[in-house]
Formats: sequence, structure tokens, C-alpha cells
Amino acid sequence: MSEIDSLKAQLETLQSEALAAFSAAIDLVSLQQMRVNYLGKKGALTEVLKGVGKLPPQERPVIGQYVNQSKSVLSAALDIAEAGLAVAAKAERVEAERIDVTLPGRVGATGALHPVQRGLDEMTAIFSQMGFAVAEGPEIENEFHNFDALNIPPEHPARAMHDTFFVEQMGDEPMLLRTHTSPVQIRAMKRFLAESGEPPLAVVAPGRVYRCDYDVTHSPMFHQVEVFKVDRDVSMAHLKGVLKHFLSTYFEKEVSIRLRPHYFPFTEPSAEVDIGCVFCAGKGCRICKNSGWIEVLGSGMIHPNVLKSVGIDSDEFSGFAFGLGVERLVMLKQGIPDLRMFFENDVRFLRRMGS
Amino acid sequence: MKIPFSWLKEQVPLTSTPAQIADDLVRLGHEVEGVEMPRAAVAGVRVGQIISKQPHPDADKLSLLKVDVGAAELLDIVCGASNMDEGDKIPVATIGTSLPNGLKIKKGQIRGASSCGMCCSEVELGLADESAGLLILPADAPVGMEVGDYLQLEEAVFDLSITPNRGDCMNTRGLARDLAADAGLSLVDMLPFEAAIDATVQAPKVMVSAETDCPAYLARRIEGVKLGDSPAWMQAGLIMAGMRPVNGIVDVLNYVMLYLGQPMHAFDADKLNGGINVRSAESDELFKALDGRELKLHAGDLVVTDQDSVIALAGIMGSETSGVSESTVNIVLESAFFRPARVSETRRTYAMVSEASMRFERGVDPEMVSIGLQQATKMITELFGGVVGEITLCGNTSEINAAKQMHCSISRIEKRLGITLPETVDDVLRRMGFGILRHADRLDVVIPPFRHDVSIAEDMSEEYARVIGFDAIPEILPALATIAPPRPDRSIHDAVAGGFLQVVTYAFISEKEQRLFVAEDGNDIRLQNPISDAMSVMRRTAWAGLLNVSRHNLNRQQSGIAIAEQGRLYNKTENGHDEKNVLAWLMAGESETEQWYGAARQAGFFDLKGAVEAWLAARGLTGRFIADDSIQGLQAGQSAKILIGRAEAGRIGRVDGDIARAFDIDVPVFVADINLDVLHAGKKAKFAPLAEFPGVERDLVFLLDKSAFVRDAGSDAIVQTVNKAGGKLLTETRIFDLYEGKGVPEDKVSVGVRFILQDASRTLTQQDSDAASAAIIAAMDKRFGAALRG
Repeated sequence: MSEIDSLKAQLETLQSEALAAFSAAIDLVSLQQMRVNYLGKKGALTEVLKGVGKLPPQERPVIGQYVNQSKSVLSAALDIAEAGLAVAAKAERVEAERIDVTLPGRVGATGALHPVQRGLDEMTAIFSQMGFAVAEGPEIENEFHNFDALNIPPEHPARAMHDTFFVEQMGDEPMLLRTHTSPVQIRAMKRFLAESGEPPLAVVAPGRVYRCDYDVTHSPMFHQVEVFKVDRDVSMAHLKGVLKHFLSTYFEKEVSIRLRPHYFPFTEPSAEVDIGCVFCAGKGCRICKNSGWIEVLGSGMIHPNVLKSVGIDSDEFSGFAFGLGVERLVMLKQGIPDLRMFFENDVRFLRRMGS
Repeated sequence: MKIPFSWLKEQVPLTSTPAQIADDLVRLGHEVEGVEMPRAAVAGVRVGQIISKQPHPDADKLSLLKVDVGAAELLDIVCGASNMDEGDKIPVATIGTSLPNGLKIKKGQIRGASSCGMCCSEVELGLADESAGLLILPADAPVGMEVGDYLQLEEAVFDLSITPNRGDCMNTRGLARDLAADAGLSLVDMLPFEAAIDATVQAPKVMVSAETDCPAYLARRIEGVKLGDSPAWMQAGLIMAGMRPVNGIVDVLNYVMLYLGQPMHAFDADKLNGGINVRSAESDELFKALDGRELKLHAGDLVVTDQDSVIALAGIMGSETSGVSESTVNIVLESAFFRPARVSETRRTYAMVSEASMRFERGVDPEMVSIGLQQATKMITELFGGVVGEITLCGNTSEINAAKQMHCSISRIEKRLGITLPETVDDVLRRMGFGILRHADRLDVVIPPFRHDVSIAEDMSEEYARVIGFDAIPEILPALATIAPPRPDRSIHDAVAGGFLQVVTYAFISEKEQRLFVAEDGNDIRLQNPISDAMSVMRRTAWAGLLNVSRHNLNRQQSGIAIAEQGRLYNKTENGHDEKNVLAWLMAGESETEQWYGAARQAGFFDLKGAVEAWLAARGLTGRFIADDSIQGLQAGQSAKILIGRAEAGRIGRVDGDIARAFDIDVPVFVADINLDVLHAGKKAKFAPLAEFPGVERDLVFLLDKSAFVRDAGSDAIVQTVNKAGGKLLTETRIFDLYEGKGVPEDKVSVGVRFILQDASRTLTQQDSDAASAAIIAAMDKRFGAALRG
């Protein structure tokens, strides 16, 4: 065998031995070692190259070519083996890091707004968007703002209907817990007139109110939203328009409204407002007592005596007003069966209604 | 108020169904709370006759009846009553009948005997609240007839809630007038009645001293009545209308009142002494009312008196002694018009309500004062005999609320309602008693005297609205105003974002609860008429309410609670009162529950403090927490006041253990509150360039005297000292470690401070941080005598 053939054979053996070793390698570290052993400065291929010196000069390039070929074959095989092992290693690592994604997440305490607050926020927002300014007033009121200015003089039978809480004497005049948010009408009109001189004004006044009545369907404290608008030529048609828009927006569906003549001392005409039952769409159910209608609030055109009490000329200006019970609307919207749940504050109820 | 349908039909020839009438009433402004259908409610109950009666073989108290209900075969009925005999006529509910109480009659077996129906009492027929046994019907009742027809039960009874402005409709005639006008029908004429006068019967002597409060007073004597119970039809009618039969005279007066709206009173003439005087009461005058109450009257109350005493609180209630009784023979009838405001005020003063006062304070129809008296005279003499004297008349009823004239602009009413007023509806109003004339835009109105509620143009707008119907008014959205929306109050929302559940509690608490957190200083605001002691004082602390909510929930297997409330606190002040807006928090029990990733953790002071700090940070504010042992109801050493700037804005701390236990809570409870009224707007976030050069972080660990650290210095003071000494480059300081125990002397505490130096224009050097460290070490030594820990 010539020298060159022996070198060639040597190279071939080396190459097939190396390829076998590469594919048998079990980790990246041993592959790295193999790279050094075969392709390194002192590696097996280099050793073969050293034998080239014994060859005649004209044969040397041939062997050089062989060696270089082997080098690239082995190098490529090493790359492939390495990549394969890397994929396997990653897969192994990923598998080792597998978690149970069905376990509950780590959360801090989650809060929730009280359903009455959510109702108040929603209602106030609807009126704000329609250009009504938000106003508030004291909860401990005098008789002037709660009754007299609202056209309920002392001897008026309507006073008896209010189940008023009176507080023990303080200051010069008898004080009471406001029985409705209507006194804010008076206060807001007075303040507004002092600032602006004359209407138009449009106000939404949310707040707590008190009635001396405590049973399954009455709470001694509850929430109302008072809404009123005073301007030239305000009519009952505007009242109906605003009611329709508000109620449809709040209940997130087109609701029909029905006004029934009623009596409130501070409005003339006065009307109770019903909505088409939101549960049975007017077909008749337990909630609407088979009438198809649910009473939701009281409304009317502001009585001229009320405008007079704050110095607004009722010949020139007119207005509408209505007051709604927040709990009642929230109960209807959320399907809450019992008024008392709002004030029991059971956290299970609060969490459920807050989501 | 309840009005039977038949009463209305006696006044107007109505042809509509009860349901249609109910709708009409609602449209006209008379709220219908319900429509009872007594006859339909007993459909299927027939007149039966007991053919035979035998004891039940297996039950002492039961009888086996054979009953004839007019069917082909006799019915076998097992009956538990004992007041019936063979031959008696009784109401029998046949198979398939549903009774007013919801019972559905089915064929059944009772103790082995079959029963094909049920014999009924008044209770089961819905005719009475109690009964002693079966309803035994008169012997001439036709067997097989529907009992509802036989007893002539009402087809319908309307339960109405008449609004306070419509006193004129608190009776059948008034209500019928509205219905008739609406339906285009005429009211049935009332036949005038004048009783035959017996000259031997004297007219009562009457003087009206208080003419303003009593513009008309009529009285008449009737002598020799033979008083008995009112007839059954009248009693049945009164019961149907929701009233209780009392005695013959009183029943007649009530019956006439329900018919015409005029309340009247009858005195026993033999119990009166001398003439009648209608006058203002004297202060402290005594009055013993019919309901047994003894009143000390106020000057100004309107009273009816005889020579000796007050015989009636005018328009409200008669006296105990002057009224008619079974032995009464001679009576004095009173029919009057009392000024509504007078009756209302007196009635409220003594918290009295009567059917009479409800009508007087709303205003009765002046015309009915006399007609009512005539009607009552007629019925009394027809039913109980007696001879009638002349009427004594004081005042003039035709002058009371005499037809008022008014004019207004039609277009103004149209503008107010948003519709036009067709002339055709004028006739409806005319039928309701109004005089209506149009001259171009001018509307001339004559208001009938019974309409005390109508006086101005706006009142007429309501009259037109209800006869036209609110449905005719269109729905028009007014032009939207544009206002700068106020900055919304996000107080409670931010607390909720911090993990707290919002609660809403009553503004009134018990005085006992108030005292737990607020010392008695005379500034409580108490309710005069609280629901109960537990709700009697306006709260000056929100914590009591939060503790009650905690108790409720911790008692229901909640392991921990984090709640917040926004509301007002109420204090008496020198010249009145104030209402402070507060936000309050409470945490108790577990703040973290046991989970797969960690153990449960109990809420502590710093959980709540962190929440309050985060809440303040959300509005650009920083609070300083100053230890304060003097906060009532909180545990000394675990409580602080919260300063924002110089203002004392809030408090925080652990609820005293005894107080917590008083609310049945045995875990540590932490509360805080912030007075929202003293908060100023916080700093608005302003942009500043982000540092580009890395900062240098250094840790220094000091040894401090334990007592000095906790009691005097606190970590706030340490951070301040470091901030000040660290110079301009110092951007952040933090206590990162607190340690006492092994390796630290017993009276010392090891405090680790981490600070960061940074400069916007260069990378800092070792020199920079060495200089700062040296300054800080020196300052710590100077201020606290703190040495670096070795």
C-alpha cells in the first residue's frame, strides 16, 4: 500500500469512527470534548496532516484536500449533533419546569364597590353626560328646606306621609333628617342664582335620605337621586324625554315609560312613573304583579311656589323635577330580592354584586 | 279607602268591567292598590241543605253529612264543625272550587270516609276574620244557588289610595263624579230630603266663638230613637269598605260619610249640659277622648264644648262620655265644616287619626254639610224611629270656598304640558264641576267649592293633563347643556382598588357604641324619635358601624375582613351642626388565606398603614404617621394620627381588645379614618427626565438604643436624618432591616439603612459615596448616638 493510500484509509477510518462517536454522544459536554479531540489543534485530524510531510510534494495537496473535506464533514456532523442535543436538553428542561396551570392564581385581596355606590355612579354619570351638574346638601336639614320651601306648609297632610326623624333641639330651629333629596333643589337653586343670576340650571343631587320606617320593604336610611332642570319653556314633554333616556340607558335596553297622575306638593302636574316590566317585557310576572308595569319614581313640573321660594319668576321660567330611589332601581336591575341586604353588608353579597 | 263597585254603579250607570274601571281610576290620578273580587272568589260554593248527619265511626269530632246541593245525587261530606243540624242550609264548596284562602277542594278520604266537598264558615268564604262554626244560611235560601249570588256578594271592591289633595274623592259620590265625567255619563240625581219637623223637639243652642276655624256648624236634635244594631246590609257594606260596625247611629254616620264625604258626630243629648260652644281651647284644658286617651289641650285647639266640658276635639274625635251608647234615646247630630289646617295641626299635635279628621284636614265639600245631615236624619229615623227637630245653623256653607274665579293663558298651560288642549276636553272638566270658558288664549275657570286643591294656572294644567292623559304627551329630549364636569370623588373607589369591600351602614348608632370611640362632650346629635336605642344617635365615628359589619361576617365563617366606608359624621357645634365627610377602613383576621403557595397571614398594623399610604399616594399626598396613645378606643402603642402637611387628617390603630371583644371579635382589629374635608388637592404628577447615569447603592447598619428607637426616634426620624445628611445626590433612603436578638446587645436594635446616590450629569465615584456615608454616620451619631454595627 502506498503511503498516500494508507493515509487515505487512516482518514476514512477516523472519519467513520468519529461520526459513530458523535451520534452516540449523550450530552453537549462530551460533544465539545470530541470536537477538541478530532478537530482541535492537537486533534486526530491534525495528527493525520502531520503525516503529509512524508509524501512527495506533488501528492501533498491531494491529502490536504482529503483532510479538509473530512474536517468539514465532521464539523457539520458535530453542529448537527450539538443542535440535536440542545433541543433534547431544552425539552428536558421545559418538561422539568412543567406546572399545574389549573392551580388558582396568586392574588391580593380584591375589593368591590357596594351595589348602591355602583348604582349611584352609573346614574350620576348618565345625568352628567346630559349636562346636569352634580350638587350635594346636608343630611340634617331644617324644616324650611325639607318642607316649607317645597310647598309643604306645616299643616299639610303630606308632612305626615314623610315619617320624619327629628333630632333633639340644637340651635334656634327644629332640625330633622332630610326625608328626600329635594331640599338640595332649593339649596342648589339659591346657590346657583347667587352665582349666575338666572336660569338655566340643571342639577343632579345624589344622597342619603331618612324615613322613620323599618320593615321588610323599608329601610330607615336609603339613597335618592334628585334631578331637576329650570329654564324657559321647559315642558312635561322634556321630563318624559329625559326619563325615557335615563331609564333606557340605566337598564341598558329600550324601556317604555308610563306616567300616572299623582300628587306631590312640590310639583304640578305630578306623575308617578312606571316602566314596562324589565323582567317579563310587559307580559306580566310576579315582580310587576301581572300588571306589566313597575313603579320606579315620582316626578312632575316644579310647582310655582317652589320657584317663588328661591326668587325665580315662575311666569318666565318653568322646570321639571324627579326623585328616584337608588336601592329600588338597583334591585330591579340586579335582581336583588330584599332591600335589607344592602345594609346587612354580608361580604358574600358584596363580592357577588361587585363583580 | 275601599269602595265597592256596586256603590259606584248606584251613582253612575257604569258598564265597564272592574278591571277597566281600575285603569280609568289610575289614569285619573286615583291609585288603585288592589281590586278584590269577593263574588268570583267563592264561585263554586253553593247553597246546600243537610239531609242527614251521622257521627264519623272513627273520629269523635267529625260528622258524616249527606248534603243536597241541587245536583242529581246527594254529596257525602265529612265535616269538623258542630253547629249544624239536619235540615240546615249551609254553603258548600263543591269539587274543583278554589276558596279565597287558596284551598282547592278535591275529592278526598277523611279517616276512611269519602268526602266530596266542604261545608264553609264565614272565614273560609273570606267574609270575616273569625267565626264560631259553619255559616248557617236562612231557611229560605234556594238549594243549589251560588252562595255569592245568594248573599249578593260584591262583584268588585276597589282598594284606593286617594292622594292628599283630593279630599273630594274620599267618598263614593266624589269618585263617581270623576268616573262619570271621564266616561261622558251623568251622575244619578240625589233626591232631596227634608225631614218632617216636630215642633216639640227643640233646636240645640249653639254658639260658634271660633268662626274662622269653624265657618259652618249645623246641629239637630232627634228624640226617642230606639237604638239597635244597624241592619245586616249596612254592616256588610261597612265591612266591605274596611270599617267596623259600632252601633246603629255611628254606623249610619259612617255610611253617609262613605257615601257623601261628610263626617258627622252624634252626641247623647241627655249627657250634654247646656248649649254647645265651638271655641278655641284654653291652655291645659282637659279632654278625655273616645279612644281612652286623656289630653291636656293647647290654646288654639278647636273644641266643641257644653257648659261643663269639652265634648269633642273638633273634627277629630268625640269625648268618652258624651257619645251615643245602647241606652241612648235622644241625640244631637253635628255636621260642620272645620278649617282643614286647624284640624291637621291639632291632629298632628296629639298623633290622632280618624276617618273624620282625614277628610276634614283635606277639606270636605261645603255643600255636603247640610245634605249629609239630612241624609243621616233620614236613615236614622227610618231605621230607629224618633222625632226630628229644626236644624240650628251657624255660619253659611255657601260662602265657604265659594266658587272661585280664575283666568289663565291656554298657551301657557300648553307650553307647560308640551301638548295642545283640544276644546273637547273642556266638557270633561265641566262635568267634573268646573266652569270653563275660552276667549282666544284666555281661559276663564270657575272652581267648584269642593276642589280645595285648585287655585292657579298650574293646577289647571294638571286637570287638563289627567283628563287628556299623560300618554298624549310626547317624549322630547331637551337640548343638552354643557358644563365642566366636576372632578369626581374617587375616595371610595381608590379604597376599593386597594382590596377593600365597600360597605354602607346606618348614619345612626347606639349611644353605647358612640361612647367607645367618642367621649361624652354634649355634642352628640340625638334623634327625638329613633327606631330603637341601637339607632338613636347620629354617628361621630364610622368605626362602630364597621365593627358591626365585621361581627356579622366573622360570625359567618369569614376568616378575615377588609372593608371601607365613605360617609358623614355628625357633630353638634356652637351654632348648629357640621357634617364631616370621612373615609374609614377596617381590617381584621386573615389578610392572606392559606393557599397552595403559602400559609395564612393575620392582618397587622402595617397592612392597613400600607393601604392608607397607597390611597394617599393615589391622590399625590404623603402622610406622616405620628404615634399617639391618646386616641380613644385604640390600643396605646399601636395607634397614630395621620398628618398631611400640618393638618391632622386621620387616625389609625388597633382597636382596644376589650372593645373588639364587645363586638364578639377575638382577632386583632385595625381601623383607620381620613377626614376628606381637610385634604387639599395633592401634587399633580410633573414630568422630570429619567436619570441616565447609574446610581450608587450603599448599606449602613447602625446600633441604636431600643428605647430611643421605638419611643423617641422611629424610623421616620432616621430616614429624615439620613436624607438631610446625605446631601443633594441622595435620591432614596429606606430601612431595609430591623433586627434584635443574637449578636446585638439586649438594649439595642440593629437598623439597616439603604440609600441611593445619583447624579443626572455624571457617573458617581467611590469618593462621592464615601463622603455621603461619612456625613450620614456622623449625623446618626450626633442625633441618636448610633454607632455603626461592627
